[in-house]
Amino acid sequence: MRLDVVGKNILRVDALSKVTGKALYPEDIYMENMLYGKTLRSKVPHAYIRVDTSKAERIDGVIKIFTHKDVPKNEYGVVLKDHEVFCSQKVRRIGDPIAFVVAKDLKTCHLALENIRVEYEEIEGVFDPIEAMKDDAPKVHGDSNIIYHFKIRKGDIKEGFKNSHVIVENTYKTHMVDHAFLQPESGVSFIDEEGRITVIVATQYPHYDREEIASALNMPEESVRVINANVGGAFGGREDISLQIHLALATKELNRPVKTVYSREESFIAHAKRHPMIMKYKTGADRDGKLLALEAEIIGDSGAYASWAMNVLRKSGVHASGPYEIPNVKVDSIAVYTNNPFTGAMRGFGATQVPIAYEQQMDILAEKLGLDPISIRLKNMFRKGSVTATGQVLTESVPLQECLERVVERMDFPRREEAY
Amino acid sequence: MVKIDLLVNGKKHSLEVEEDMRLIDLLREKLGLTGVKEGCSEGECGACTVIMDGEVVNSCLVMAFQAHESNIITIEGLDGEGSLHPLQQAFIDAGAVQCGYCTPGMILSAKALLDKNPNPTEEEIREGISGNLCRCTGYNKIVEAINRAKGV
Amino acid sequence: MKKRGRGIGLAFYGTGYGNGFPDVSRARIRLLDDGKVGIYVGSTEVGQGAKTVLMQIGAEALKLDVEEIVFITEDTSLTPDAGTAAASRQTYNTGNAVKIACENFIERLKEIAKEELNLNSSYGLKVEAGNIFLDFFPQKKISFKELSKSYGSGNIEADGEFVAQTIMMDPETGQGAPYWPYTFNACGIELVVDTLTGLVEIERAVFAQDVGRAVNPHLVEGQMDGGFAMALGYILFEDLNLKDGKIYNNKFSKYLIPTAMDTIKVENIIVEDPESTAPYGAKGIGEPVMIPVGPAILNAIYDAIGVRITELPVTPERLIKAIQEDNERKEEI
Repeated sequence: MRLDVVGKNILRVDALSKVTGKALYPEDIYMENMLYGKTLRSKVPHAYIRVDTSKAERIDGVIKIFTHKDVPKNEYGVVLKDHEVFCSQKVRRIGDPIAFVVAKDLKTCHLALENIRVEYEEIEGVFDPIEAMKDDAPKVHGDSNIIYHFKIRKGDIKEGFKNSHVIVENTYKTHMVDHAFLQPESGVSFIDEEGRITVIVATQYPHYDREEIASALNMPEESVRVINANVGGAFGGREDISLQIHLALATKELNRPVKTVYSREESFIAHAKRHPMIMKYKTGADRDGKLLALEAEIIGDSGAYASWAMNVLRKSGVHASGPYEIPNVKVDSIAVYTNNPFTGAMRGFGATQVPIAYEQQMDILAEKLGLDPISIRLKNMFRKGSVTATGQVLTESVPLQECLERVVERMDFPRREEAY
Repeated sequence: MVKIDLLVNGKKHSLEVEEDMRLIDLLREKLGLTGVKEGCSEGECGACTVIMDGEVVNSCLVMAFQAHESNIITIEGLDGEGSLHPLQQAFIDAGAVQCGYCTPGMILSAKALLDKNPNPTEEEIREGISGNLCRCTGYNKIVEAINRAKGV
Repeated sequence: MKKRGRGIGLAFYGTGYGNGFPDVSRARIRLLDDGKVGIYVGSTEVGQGAKTVLMQIGAEALKLDVEEIVFITEDTSLTPDAGTAAASRQTYNTGNAVKIACENFIERLKEIAKEELNLNSSYGLKVEAGNIFLDFFPQKKISFKELSKSYGSGNIEADGEFVAQTIMMDPETGQGAPYWPYTFNACGIELVVDTLTGLVEIERAVFAQDVGRAVNPHLVEGQMDGGFAMALGYILFEDLNLKDGKIYNNKFSKYLIPTAMDTIKVENIIVEDPESTAPYGAKGIGEPVMIPVGPAILNAIYDAIGVRITELPVTPERLIKAIQEDNERKEEI
């Protein structure tokens, strides 16, 4: 195939505006008659709340304080609508939005936040996903904390382990981390020349934001417009709604532009995190290093909201057996609510955690069998025509062996003893 | 209010500023220089880097009144009439830009480095930009860009 | 004592929403003023290079220079929905939508050219470098410029839609085809562990990434470098210090991400094996590029000191504790 443009190192089309400082991120936009907004967030992880904004409302320069009473449809969420725009009765995590102050300037916003009275009637929280799965655990939503349970059942693992020469069992734990994109969340809302509620934001999916804004405000989607400014990194952290609905609501009610910029600290508590996972693995291989069975139980802490929990734990489950052909596989991956910060999409989306387990298992098996790490992988890896643990046939474009061989070639891998 | 005089990107300004105003707010809000970015507000990320009397500073840690009688360069002051500064061009050519949020601060730190040390080693380059965080590029193409720009 | 070790990590990654969920990308192509072509697509540039890559795919399909293309992505009132900039899906999914829209646009141009050039049929017409012409009699030709003059801006357009093919898995057995395509990679790490301080220093990283086809090799390398750095932070030092639901490390002075001093020059190897359902063979790589790095580091740490680390992050404190516990275990034996 002759290609003229694809495959060429065309210079990035957005680079010029970025090296000259002309690229506008939402916080770089200033409009006439613009107000500022700031979010009041829960200070405790699990409590019933009563909110009194009356004192703060009387502060000079405060225009309006929005709470759940002001939201036509007080819910949103990428899969389950389990977030409230503003918590109405209960907070489920530190950082849950309770109110949105709109004032003439930022100083007034801060003053107003200090003067909103929130009475917290604290409830016992649950912070360990294994505890949260128990029947008597405090419930974050509804009557069970288990959001999702994905299963793979392929072949017969009993038989597979029975025939295994070595079996390796370990539990691996990964932690919660943040995207730490450099540009904290920000946005400006206004009413455009055609009367549309318009929000300038840095988002991964403007059409989704529009849908959520329209739904929460009970407006047709055509009356809402989302403009994506430059986005200062995302990595999955800008998939859930943050300030979009708050800004749209304020502009709709006040008929004025409103701007919100999160501090780094607010950014840390506002957006989703990477799922911590507890991964219990059992892997068996025959004398030659051929994998015969894999059993994995993966528990993912979704924190206070589901966000992408189902999709993330599903992805963990599908990728749990690694890029290897294994005849007998049993995987259970489970997403659980806790009162931790909520977790969602982050680069790798559940498939980043599982190799921490499956690739260490491979090296442990190799050592027990007297094999080197390369050979055991070559014996088991996906190639063209391989069938995955879910029964999918990899019909083309499977250059895993080439990837491995090219790394090994550069690093002179198998001759480990000689190297030291 | 405090009255201050300062030179920003070669242009004289005399302004009244509030005592608790930071330099970053002065540059962004009063002078409209929004190429100065705010990533952390505690001097850790370097997105707000500007050059003040030849030294890089985090403009979120400098108070506006402290900039009295100083000479400030921001990203907006780097390119001349229709031509880019060699570092700006090198950042484009080497593919050193991704989301772009760290880019202005990164380029200014690189400029301050090259102004003092026109031929830095790779290690000196890495050290020179170690106060500027980037979450996208892994820094390698940024280091390459600075390498390209030295001596231009 | 400083100990050296090497480790390897392999990974695979299924891109797209997956599991039978309708994964749809849409794009619209319009002839604008002065023969320029507008690509309208609601796909987000988050820094990964989506704008550049999608423009390259459009330019390739239209046989046009990138400079002749106007790319509009930012506004929901102007662009069709191209799905999220996530799941490593923009190059493959939206790239396909852009390519299909361009192909439909070319067909539309040929229909118009047939009328404008008084031809019996649109067979034999070719579109290249902003001209529509008859292959075997090139004098029969009309340019994009002439067409935009006579039709006006935005009046010749075509849409394209791509829907990915995945099959929902059985809820009891997980059997199904949840993602397509998959990308593959391998990472090799050489590092030094200081057993007294618990510090891990990466000395060498070789990283091979399957991309199907690299639309823009520099952008691919940028993703690989960035994915490597993010994985390094994930494994070795990023820690929210979460206790009872509270994040204690909520600022950059406490939540440490890699600096230029922490990363090294990664030896990137781009592996091409074009995928037939992909635009010019290109698969998504935004997420996969961070995945094999972590296990390679952990396996290298074991190779260096003979201790398995099963809990992240591998901070110096945790590493020293693991070494001590391992020594105690060995003494007991």
